[in-house]
Amino acid sequence: MKTLLIIFAALLVHDTVASDHWAFQPVRRPEVPVVAGLVSEANPIDAFILRQLGEAGMGFAPEATAERLIRRMALDLIGLPPKPDEVEVFVKAFSSDPERACSALIDRLLESPHYGERWGRHWLDVARFAETDGFEHDAVRPHAWRYRDYVIRSYNDDKPYDRFICEQVAGDVLWPDEPQARIATGFNLLGPDMVDSADQEQRRLNRLTDMTDTTALAFVGLTMGCAKCHDHPFEPITQREYYGLQAFYTPLDFNDAAPVYTPAELSSHKMDLARYESRAEVVALAAFDMEHRPAGRKLSHKAYLKTLSKDEKAARDKLEESARRYKRPELPAALTVSYPSGPWRKTRLLNRGEYSQPREVVPPGFPKIVPGDETRPKDRRDLAAWLTDPGNPLTARVMVNRVWRQHFGRGLVATPSDFGVTSKAPTHPELLDWLASEFVRDGWSLKALHRLILSSKTWRQAVVDSPDRLLYRGWLPKRLEGEVIRDSLLEISGRLNPAMYGPGVMPPIPAEVFKGASGWSPSKDSADHGRRSIYIFARRNLRFPFLEVFDAPDSNLSCSARQESTTAPQSLTLLNAADVVEAARQVAESLPKNTIVASAYRRILGRDPSAEEADLAERFLQRSPAKELCRALFNLNEFVYAY
Amino acid sequence: MEPTRTTRREFLRSAGAGFGAVALSAMLEREGLADAPEAGVANPLAAHGSHFTGTAKNVIFLFMSGGPSHVDLFDYKADLIRLGGRPIPDSFGEFKTRRKVAKNNLLPPLRPFHRHGQSGIEVSEWLPNIAGCVDDICLLRGCHGDSVTHPESVYLMNTGSILMGRASLGSWSAYGLGSESENMPAFVVMPDPDGWVKGGAPAWGNGYLPATYQGTILRGGATPILNLNNPRGVSAAQQLETVNLINQLNRNGLRQGEQDSPLAARIAAYELAYRMQSHAREVVDVSRESPATRRLYGMDEAVTEDFGRRCLMARRMVERGVRFVQLYCGDTLGWDGHSKMDSNHSELCARSDLPVAGLLKDLKSRGLLDSTLVIWGGEFGRMPMSEGADGRDHNPHGFCMWMAGGGVKGGQVIGATDAVGLRAVEDKTHVHDIHATILHLLGFDHTRLTYRHHGREDRLTDVFGRVITRAIA
Repeated sequence: MKTLLIIFAALLVHDTVASDHWAFQPVRRPEVPVVAGLVSEANPIDAFILRQLGEAGMGFAPEATAERLIRRMALDLIGLPPKPDEVEVFVKAFSSDPERACSALIDRLLESPHYGERWGRHWLDVARFAETDGFEHDAVRPHAWRYRDYVIRSYNDDKPYDRFICEQVAGDVLWPDEPQARIATGFNLLGPDMVDSADQEQRRLNRLTDMTDTTALAFVGLTMGCAKCHDHPFEPITQREYYGLQAFYTPLDFNDAAPVYTPAELSSHKMDLARYESRAEVVALAAFDMEHRPAGRKLSHKAYLKTLSKDEKAARDKLEESARRYKRPELPAALTVSYPSGPWRKTRLLNRGEYSQPREVVPPGFPKIVPGDETRPKDRRDLAAWLTDPGNPLTARVMVNRVWRQHFGRGLVATPSDFGVTSKAPTHPELLDWLASEFVRDGWSLKALHRLILSSKTWRQAVVDSPDRLLYRGWLPKRLEGEVIRDSLLEISGRLNPAMYGPGVMPPIPAEVFKGASGWSPSKDSADHGRRSIYIFARRNLRFPFLEVFDAPDSNLSCSARQESTTAPQSLTLLNAADVVEAARQVAESLPKNTIVASAYRRILGRDPSAEEADLAERFLQRSPAKELCRALFNLNEFVYAY
Repeated sequence: MEPTRTTRREFLRSAGAGFGAVALSAMLEREGLADAPEAGVANPLAAHGSHFTGTAKNVIFLFMSGGPSHVDLFDYKADLIRLGGRPIPDSFGEFKTRRKVAKNNLLPPLRPFHRHGQSGIEVSEWLPNIAGCVDDICLLRGCHGDSVTHPESVYLMNTGSILMGRASLGSWSAYGLGSESENMPAFVVMPDPDGWVKGGAPAWGNGYLPATYQGTILRGGATPILNLNNPRGVSAAQQLETVNLINQLNRNGLRQGEQDSPLAARIAAYELAYRMQSHAREVVDVSRESPATRRLYGMDEAVTEDFGRRCLMARRMVERGVRFVQLYCGDTLGWDGHSKMDSNHSELCARSDLPVAGLLKDLKSRGLLDSTLVIWGGEFGRMPMSEGADGRDHNPHGFCMWMAGGGVKGGQVIGATDAVGLRAVEDKTHVHDIHATILHLLGFDHTRLTYRHHGREDRLTDVFGRVITRAIA
């Protein structure tokens, strides 16, 4: 009887709840409401927001000041504060034509290569990006950074989001000749991996589980994990459907170092190699080996070394030492997935999720909750097509909500990676649908979406006494991520190294953190210590302390929304950490002696101090040095929040 | 909101709890701004409040990194002596090992065992001092886990899953209980100074719980907590001046009509940070303890000095309201006696036996043992057969842990392994059961202490775990 009830309940979930659930309904582009007080050519976002505000007897708060707007926009779009002269120019332009000034500023910021470094980071959270395996050895994945660079490039190029998805899901089969598309498939391999597991079948299953779950969370906001062991208790997802999704991945080869190069890279590699091989020292070593290597026998390098006499070995060591001055050029390689040349593995439904309990074979398939093509999918090309079909009700909604959340600090849907039956309904369902439809209509352009949101009155409101969080009255200061705080410190103190891309860097970390841990050797070139935080080597078992204390995710599971905690260790960090102290010292040294207070405010907070603030600061300077004033300003709410 | 004097004082007091988290949550609730990014329900930063009155208020988890040998320390097996030098009988069937030792000869216990206390529980000669405390100890001889490797087992013992990314037991406890302390974090970790446990920091990570609940690493000496000291060249007086300026400017910011709760909470966090600067140093300053107490922990002997100091620091933290203290005994290799077990375990027993017993006695004499749960154990035990000539491989199929204090009934043994100590067979307690029991002693129903993550009410024990009711007094 109990079983019958459960089956009945499950049927109910599948047939009734699923078909009624808002997120599974097709996106219908709603009419933009006509709202009193808005001109007809107004930003549609404002019409939707103002309608609900009006129903609650409220209206928009006044617009933020020009100084606040430029700082807010810059922190939001590129993750760096504006320079004092940029503020000055903008304030002037804003006073004559605010719309034009803002629009030009948004364009400039979106064109900045720093944009990809800022927004790529949001995606790396979702993608659980790290550059090590985790577990005991936490071994380095020497090519993982290429995925990070791929993401930054994609954002900077305003790659259409549907293409971005297709590349990550099936780049290897859709565009086999494009290295970037193959690098994109590394997305599937970014999770932790117990390489030396005692049970390699279990290890492979863990990776497949990780990629199945992450695909569903990242692209369509479905929390499929529960259905690995049994039909999903809340969502209309059966266990069979779970393995149907996994079946797209089951046959894959996981490549740690697949060569990924363009014809141009190959020819330049050949030239580099020729140059390397013509170096006198390299030639000398090769000649030595040619002479001493026993002919006619296949020997490993180690075995060959054993054939040398002591003197010969010493001579060779010397030659090798000199040759080591040059690094043997290598072709670019990346983490990728690909189909095997041999037969494909089949997927079986696993009872209770245990690989020791295989049941029937399950072919690739899509969760039925989403109306899709009825043809039988074969491989990841079909999965990519299904995910990016404009008729898929989830993909565009999920992404516009992610972007909205990053801009406002809260989503129209509160749970960015969970649009399932038990998620909370959107606060502005019609706006969400309108944005989703507009996003697709604009060719899945993220930059167009940013422009749309940042051009709205809604986003430009000032901080007010009585804000309304859910109805979007007034701006709520938004806590900046550790990356933005650290990068701002570097930028303001003139130490930011704007170099982009390449292998991760290791700025020094305090000795006491490192004690007992392993795997961190600060980059030799100190210029690398001032690189933007997105380039800091992402080690799973030793997070960079400055970022960790400000809620950087642990990168083991997909993270759709960082926590925003307020803790005493954060205060200790901003008060005492070497990064902050050094930044304060450098800024203080460059301040003109006669305008210390005003200059410090402009440099650090992008505005002039009020009379009261100037007075407090002047009195402080009677007993304390300027670097202490700068240290204090770096600790203000205004520095770690976007106002 | 303009914080009045009274509400500000209240607010600052609550700011101590959960490292500022409770302050934030209180403010958020007052403002009606509570936001749970992933949850969409209650504020994730609010301390949960226990489900019933727990018997334990604090936990000290003595983690024996590397996997101590139960058959040489706490699980006396006459048959292991009898069958020593021969392979394990076929009747034991197949089992997983890390290093293919299944067919090797059985290795008898390396030390004799004796009965101790009124309970008469057998303990090996390697642990004479802990043996003297058996009547306070509830010995779990039927423990088992899921993996034969270190990191997976370390994660399982600490986070309830062999995979990475889950929240640790200490984080869950801090999440549930908040902190009693005004000036200290709720969950403190003291790694072995010679190296971290295999698997590293995720063993005390917050997983998907707010960062507030992650284990704060605390060391002895002048910089017990990262960034605790004033910057070089900045005097205490200057630091106070600067912090005052920060708070004044931040407060002025609030007055200008930009008051928003997390911003106000940041002011509290600065005051808390400032207080922590002196308190954390005071906590680790064991020079204030009497010579007799320091001797009790073995601080007068080189071999026991380090672990004794950390055990004593653990007691001082518990006294000052830290909820969960985890100490690691053994460096990255630790108790991992794949070879030369005798010298490996001799050394680690010598380093830890006296300090652990000293901690139990000291807690007891101060009346703290009743409310402090002490847990001893590693990520697994070791195999009854030998590895090489003189080592033992990992054994997650059967091993020992023990609990004392905090409402646990001492002087008893629960569970048993088979004749040679290979597998848990009677009254088995899986790691999930131990977690369920620890949460129960702290006043939580492990099935109800949950956090919404990826669409699911996640919990420490996943879908498993049974409270070991016999362990409870």
